[in-house]
Amino acid sequence: MLSSTPWKRWLLLAIAVLLVAIYLFPLYWMYVTALKTNTETFANPPTLWPHHAELKVARVWNDMGMGSFIQNSLVIACGTVAIVVLFGTGCAYGLARVRSVWMDVALFLVLMLQVLPPSLLITPIFVAFSQLGLLSWPRTGTILATAANKLPLYIVLVRAAFTQVPRELEEAALVDGNSRIGAFLSISVPLARNGILVSAILIFLQALGEYVYSRSLITDRAYQPATVGLQFFVGPNASDWTGIMTFAAIYVTPILIIFVLLQRRIVSGLTSGALK
Amino acid sequence: MLRFNRVFRDGGGFDSVLVLLALAYLVAFSAFPLIYNLVISFQSVDLFTIATFDRPFVGLENYRDIVNDPLFWPVVRNTILFVGLSVVFQLGIGLALALFFRLDFPGSTWLRGLFLAGWIMPGLVVGAIWGWLLAGDFGVVNWLIQSLGLTQQKIFWLSDPSISIYSVIIANIWLGVPFNMILLSVGLAAIPADVYEAAELDGATRLQRFFTITLPMMRAQLGAVISLGIIFTLQQFDLFAALTQGGPSNASNVLQYWSWELAFREYRIGHGSVVSVFMIIVVIFVATAYVRSTRHEHVV
Repeated sequence: MLSSTPWKRWLLLAIAVLLVAIYLFPLYWMYVTALKTNTETFANPPTLWPHHAELKVARVWNDMGMGSFIQNSLVIACGTVAIVVLFGTGCAYGLARVRSVWMDVALFLVLMLQVLPPSLLITPIFVAFSQLGLLSWPRTGTILATAANKLPLYIVLVRAAFTQVPRELEEAALVDGNSRIGAFLSISVPLARNGILVSAILIFLQALGEYVYSRSLITDRAYQPATVGLQFFVGPNASDWTGIMTFAAIYVTPILIIFVLLQRRIVSGLTSGALK
Repeated sequence: MLRFNRVFRDGGGFDSVLVLLALAYLVAFSAFPLIYNLVISFQSVDLFTIATFDRPFVGLENYRDIVNDPLFWPVVRNTILFVGLSVVFQLGIGLALALFFRLDFPGSTWLRGLFLAGWIMPGLVVGAIWGWLLAGDFGVVNWLIQSLGLTQQKIFWLSDPSISIYSVIIANIWLGVPFNMILLSVGLAAIPADVYEAAELDGATRLQRFFTITLPMMRAQLGAVISLGIIFTLQQFDLFAALTQGGPSNASNVLQYWSWELAFREYRIGHGSVVSVFMIIVVIFVATAYVRSTRHEHVV
């Protein structure tokens, strides 16, 4: 936007790369530590590059019982996305289509419920779930609570996608004899599918990182997700840092890959939804 | 039945039903807990009465207990420190980066997007990584500041009671910078270029342009970003769980973590609810400001 001479542009690029490198250093350090041997991890001065790189994926996976953790994370994330998409898509559509006082009230409610911290809602949710006996199905309980937490963000994002769909196409379908639900499913949803898909993936990634609800509602180790598993190993007295960093690397690498692939779409979805 | 069918099939009832379904879900799992939390805060709840429906009401006793708790004011002070420093630095660094990445150079958008890799990471993993970076004996941060000659002694970021809160703040700033930067970038991009050109022709310096054009035109955006920053910082729980667990001896405890600890570690559920009530009032207050600032933006 602000024009500048060629050599200045390359200088700016160099500074930008440096800034990104400084910012992403923690991520780099996670991968480097995961590759180091135990002695090298605690070397002083620390080595910036592993001299005897070794891949400990299989050992950490087995020793730390990651199989069950990751599986539970996936179950919780998939369940959350299913509920969020089922309830949220229609709501987002309604909020995008109808302009009335009641819809404004509904949108205001959704925005307000978006900001409630899970760490503060968990106490009453825990009490209510134990009264209803829902704690016998801890993962279901976690899914129900997490979905309520993520639903508002999804509605806000998908609503922005539906406002881009021209109303005329839908009206044409109605004239042709479609019912409202027919027009919704065969015209509006397919036309907004990119927005819906990206928002659903974003919710999926966020749900994979959910911690508070799982930590509080799931007591049985066999049902706990990877975040709770990781927390078990960190803390003020942590010592097996190569193991912990390997655990973290295995866990976040798929998240990071999905994110980098969809980066542009997620960013534009967020910026159009969050502030409008 | 026929009338319902007509309204739902062809009329406006369809939209209402779709919106109401989602709202019903949100009311059941978000709004109801909010109210229920208020009820519990007036009750005496322990492990034995948790699953029953008739629990004794104790009036304001829980509130008195919490306000008179020797931990209450230190934890409030920590929360204010945590939110204040986090938001100021997230905003400052975020704005500086947004201004920088607006400059014209190859790959600026793509490189800017890479910052969001930090934002998408699970909070607990970020906490684990920072725990390792800041580790007392073998942490790379201590090695760096020692080799730069900034300190002679190692800093025990996580186990020194006067410092532990700052290590969580540092991790939280790292986590929040990308989001601030992206939202502020959107605001910067919305300022028309000809305003700057006109100011440049009139001889305004870069600094003058920043203070007379950029800041005033970003006012609504800054308001929204600050409110969102406060809200996300008040939601921050995972970093505490991964880094200090509020310790050592509650030196880095904040309200949202204390509330959880009271309820789930000490089983003082009524007391935990009281702390939640305080926090939720603050959150709702900030959220109203946020929603109003986004409304405002529609008009501008």
